[in-house]
Amino acid sequence: MKLERERPTDEIPTSSMADIAFLLIIYFMITSSFTATRGLDFAPPKDDDNPPVIEKEDSVYIEILPNGDLLVDQRAMLLEDLIDYLKPKLERNPEKPVIIRPEPSAPYGRMVDVMDELRQGKEKGGLKEEIRISLPTQREIDSLWF
Amino acid sequence: MRLGAKNKFQPRIPTASMADIAFLLIIFFMLTITYEVDKTQLALPKTDIRLEIPKKAAYVSIEANGVLRVSNGEETSVLVPGVEDVLSFAATIVATDPIKAFVIKADTDTPYRHVDQVLDALKRAKVEIIYLLSDQQLVDTATGG
Repeated sequence: MKLERERPTDEIPTSSMADIAFLLIIYFMITSSFTATRGLDFAPPKDDDNPPVIEKEDSVYIEILPNGDLLVDQRAMLLEDLIDYLKPKLERNPEKPVIIRPEPSAPYGRMVDVMDELRQGKEKGGLKEEIRISLPTQREIDSLWF
Repeated sequence: MRLGAKNKFQPRIPTASMADIAFLLIIFFMLTITYEVDKTQLALPKTDIRLEIPKKAAYVSIEANGVLRVSNGEETSVLVPGVEDVLSFAATIVATDPIKAFVIKADTDTPYRHVDQVLDALKRAKVEIIYLLSDQQLVDTATGG
């Protein structure tokens, strides 16, 4: 009986390569975060030897109370009415700063709501320029105004 | 004349191209991947304006009870005991990279005094750009708001 010799094949086995590749894909899918991290940008004022002193009276002053209510120039106001209130003032003086001052126990989210609303002044209120938002810290307020 | 033996077809599924597709997907994931350096689970505030935060930005996370964590954007965030540590952390980073972006990741219900202290520390450290991390504001279709 003639035995047939088994011929070695000249193929590179690639079937396991796909397995390895898919394992790598699964690893990347699990460890990556798909949603891009996004948020509101905020540029603190740069150091200046002679910083302009802004009086409360020269600006629009938005206080955020502990329950999240807003006091704009000492008057209670809804967030939705904020741009309408600011529009005539900023049309007269586009440089007018808008100061946001949350109470220490006010929720942070409310400050972000206000900032988000102000940042949309151009789209929502048809303002020509971006609103100059100022967010002084307690230390800055203590050193500037008191 | 004897006809040749019938060709025997070996049933095979071609899998060679599967690896190519898989590697293309891997390249896509490798290019788009962003590792979360801060995995603190917080309820972020929701905003309409959401600008993309630069990769490798440094993080300061603030929990609702005031617990602080910091990350330089490359390593996982670590707990810090107080706001003075945030100041020294930020000053160290700014000394090597003056235009490094910082991200404040705070819970929406965090009392503002905690955020105020962190903001103050970042300002004192001369941080040039700060991002307030937020989620997408969902449009309420019922009210049209």
